[in-house]
Amino acid sequence: MFRVTAVLLLLAAFVSACQIGGHPARYEVIYSMEKGTASAQQTAPPAETPRKYTIGIVPKLVEIPYFNLVEDGAAEAAERLGVDIVYKGPTVADSAQQIKIVQELLDQGVDAIAVSANDPEKLLPALVKARQQGIKVITWDSDTYREGRDFFVNMVDAETLGRHLMDTLAWNTQEKGEFAILTGQEKAATLNEWIKWIKVQQEEFYPKMKLVKIAATDDDPQKAYELAKGLLAEYPNLAGIIGNSSVGPPAAAKAVKEAGLSGRVKVVGLSTPNMMADYLRDGSAQIATLWSPKKLGYLTVVLAVDALEGKRPYDGQNIRNVGIIRVNGDVVIMGEPVDFTKENVSQYDF
Amino acid sequence: MISKLKHRIRLRGFRLSAKLMITYVLLTVIPMWLLGYVSYRQYTKSIEEQIGEYMPRFLVQANANIKKHMDELSSLPELLFNSDDMIAILRRDSYRSRADLNRDQFEMNSYLARTYLNGNNPDVIGVFLLSKNRLFQSTKLSYSGLDWHQAFTSYGQDLKLRTNVKVILPREIGLRFIDNVPYVLIMKQIEDVDNRKNLGTMFIAVRLSFISTVLRDFEKSDKADLWLMNRSGEIIYHTDPKKIGTFDDKIGEYPILNGSFRERGEDGPRLVSVNESEDLGWVLVHSVPLEELTERADFVRRVTVMVFVGVVVASILIFALFSLRVTRPLKRLSRLMKHVEMGQFNVDLQVQSKDEIGALANSFNSMVATIRELIQRNYHIEIRQKEAELYALQSQINPHFMYNTLETISMAVEEGEKEAVVEMVTLLGRMLRFSVGNKSKFVTIAQEVQHVRDYLTIQKFRFEDRLAFDIAYALEADGESLYTPKFVLQPIVENAIKYGLEARKGLELHIAVGEEFGARSGKRDLVFRVRDNGPGIPAERLEELERTIREDALAGRDSGFGLSNVNARIVMLHGPDYGVQLHSIHGIGTEVAIRIPVTTASEIERSGHGEERNAREETRNGNDSHLDSG
Repeated sequence: MFRVTAVLLLLAAFVSACQIGGHPARYEVIYSMEKGTASAQQTAPPAETPRKYTIGIVPKLVEIPYFNLVEDGAAEAAERLGVDIVYKGPTVADSAQQIKIVQELLDQGVDAIAVSANDPEKLLPALVKARQQGIKVITWDSDTYREGRDFFVNMVDAETLGRHLMDTLAWNTQEKGEFAILTGQEKAATLNEWIKWIKVQQEEFYPKMKLVKIAATDDDPQKAYELAKGLLAEYPNLAGIIGNSSVGPPAAAKAVKEAGLSGRVKVVGLSTPNMMADYLRDGSAQIATLWSPKKLGYLTVVLAVDALEGKRPYDGQNIRNVGIIRVNGDVVIMGEPVDFTKENVSQYDF
Repeated sequence: MISKLKHRIRLRGFRLSAKLMITYVLLTVIPMWLLGYVSYRQYTKSIEEQIGEYMPRFLVQANANIKKHMDELSSLPELLFNSDDMIAILRRDSYRSRADLNRDQFEMNSYLARTYLNGNNPDVIGVFLLSKNRLFQSTKLSYSGLDWHQAFTSYGQDLKLRTNVKVILPREIGLRFIDNVPYVLIMKQIEDVDNRKNLGTMFIAVRLSFISTVLRDFEKSDKADLWLMNRSGEIIYHTDPKKIGTFDDKIGEYPILNGSFRERGEDGPRLVSVNESEDLGWVLVHSVPLEELTERADFVRRVTVMVFVGVVVASILIFALFSLRVTRPLKRLSRLMKHVEMGQFNVDLQVQSKDEIGALANSFNSMVATIRELIQRNYHIEIRQKEAELYALQSQINPHFMYNTLETISMAVEEGEKEAVVEMVTLLGRMLRFSVGNKSKFVTIAQEVQHVRDYLTIQKFRFEDRLAFDIAYALEADGESLYTPKFVLQPIVENAIKYGLEARKGLELHIAVGEEFGARSGKRDLVFRVRDNGPGIPAERLEELERTIREDALAGRDSGFGLSNVNARIVMLHGPDYGVQLHSIHGIGTEVAIRIPVTTASEIERSGHGEERNAREETRNGNDSHLDSG
């Protein structure tokens, strides 16, 4: 009897097993690589805190075209990335005011500060203080000392630019004659770096040329114009002027034009195509060199946001709407300088 | 229901061979089959799991390769920035003349052809650039089906692409290349990073052969399907080219998009592995019939099943033969047993084998033989017992004794010895009553002794001084509580008187009743000793006599000799340990010892009850027959 029961049980078990096998779900998962709850939790916190970053951007000064363009680019990036920016700078290129603005931004509670330093030394304590408060500090356009910032967003390689500026003048003066430099602030680190490379290039390749004067305009157009006039008066044999900051070349071109020296005193240097377009076309300036200030503003904001998210820029990084950047140590290099001539100046809208 | 089944599957009712078969099937075939089935299932399952686990990983790899390739293709538009002239063309808003526009288009088109079509990426089959109401293009293959004016509104420069790169499938845009070459369009906006303006949109048509290059190395089997589709199920690439552009409507049903699962389709189960590329939003699917994976296992299974069936059939045959060999002798045995039951003992079960069946047959044969022998022996014993009893009855009322006694009485009457006559008649009457009255085989010792005393007393009257006797009674218990077979003493005494008085003038008889330890029985036995001073028996005669007595007891040969009769009856009742012993010295005398077990009334009740009743019945029957004959 037991045997019969056992047989029946076995049979029943088998039949039921067959039934389970006979009407299964259409799909039966064998192996899953779907991200589990753990990763879901990982992605949750950013969603929980949609806090907008606020980034303070401090130019050397406001209300000159160059820095206005930077502001445009920064605003574009802020809109794309969904962050707030506070673009605030001194009305004249003055370190004391910059320090004050940095302090104001700190009080305002920004997450990051991006500064274009008028004077690396003077600004340093304020930036160090900001960093101590846990605020990300980066520099752009004009650097300060290393301890004052995480990294520096440089537009172009200083050596490349310095040598190139020298070259653009040399092409126009047949590699000879006296020349002067209109720089921005006397102590601005980046400007002085370029001047160093201008000198190196001249000494290396253009022995017949001679640097007669370096004049600091403090990025004041009026002052620059005065200085340019003074240079023309002081050095009658002057073959050319290199403008080292965006205010210099237009002022020099204007002075040259007014002095009726168009074509005889060559004007090259860093300035925006819009400011230089007329001078380039009428021959009072030969070549303007620059990068896109908008791009610089854009890149600065992108990198600041990245830094806030803990991402450091890396060499060869392809930044959308900017391109590939280079990183050398803690210096980011945005790209190559662009030359504007009367032929191509109309292509550019800044 | 179950009880019904129980009735139906009642093993008890089956024949032995059927039971053996069922047991064999239950114990061998079913477990073997179950074992095979389970291990096959487990094996295929483990194959399935293994492939189910590594296939998605391969798909991840393949997806990564495709992604890498797509990334490379996506970076192609950047090549445009290598040429300032081309950027200048794109930046140009207005033209003074149609010729200027045509010149720009010519330059741009040839640049596109140089850079992309003749570049180092052979999969690019066409480049289109929409910029400020201008279309620049260069293709390797002729195409149709696309209205670029409409495309301007859909993909024109006004569109702000949120994503960096967009992949457009042919269905979305309607563009068809000749021969329906499968392709995807990679769409990317051309940004003027300096002016922060949109310059236009570039479309690069890429032949999908690169996917097949990636996937070809990956799956070589014809039966496996491998396809790439987007999240809405549109198939971008399929190993079956006809399916490119169609929809996989099952995508919504897939339980997971990263991993593998079993799908039960119309043509058998398939193992489907999927991996989703998050960047592209593409799903790579690999689907293979399970049969394909378990092909080798299936071959093994088929071989196993065949071997299994073969083994089962062969073993069932062998087993059937074996069970026939077991059951056939058993059947014969049962037939023969029927015969035996009917009383035929002359049967012989012929089994040659030496196994249990052979042993059983041998046992059966020897049993039948023993039964036959026993029946015969019982038959003889019965006859002999009857003969002995008959003889005893005859001796009790020996006519010769009656005659002598009556003659003695008559002489005593003549001599006027009245008292002697009365005593003799009394004694004779008592003797007759003893003989007739008690039908039992056993009497008390007192009765038996009384009987022989009566006999001797009567003989003493006859032989007077020639005969002297005494009876020594040396039992602890009285003679009433112990029993002896009836009529054992008188034949001995008769013998002693007969032979003693033939040879001697006077005979002395000593009868002793006592208990002795018996060497043979190992117990205390009851012993009657009858000693006389008669002529004795010569040694050779004694030997012969003893042999006769022993043989007689077993062989049952009839003899009128009292000694052997007594001995035979005792042996029949109590076994060969008991009986009559002779001791004699020629010329001096003879002693006869009758050895019987100590028997109490209860023992007779116990052992002899049935016998007694039988005896009683027999006597009644006998009486009846007497009556009939009378």
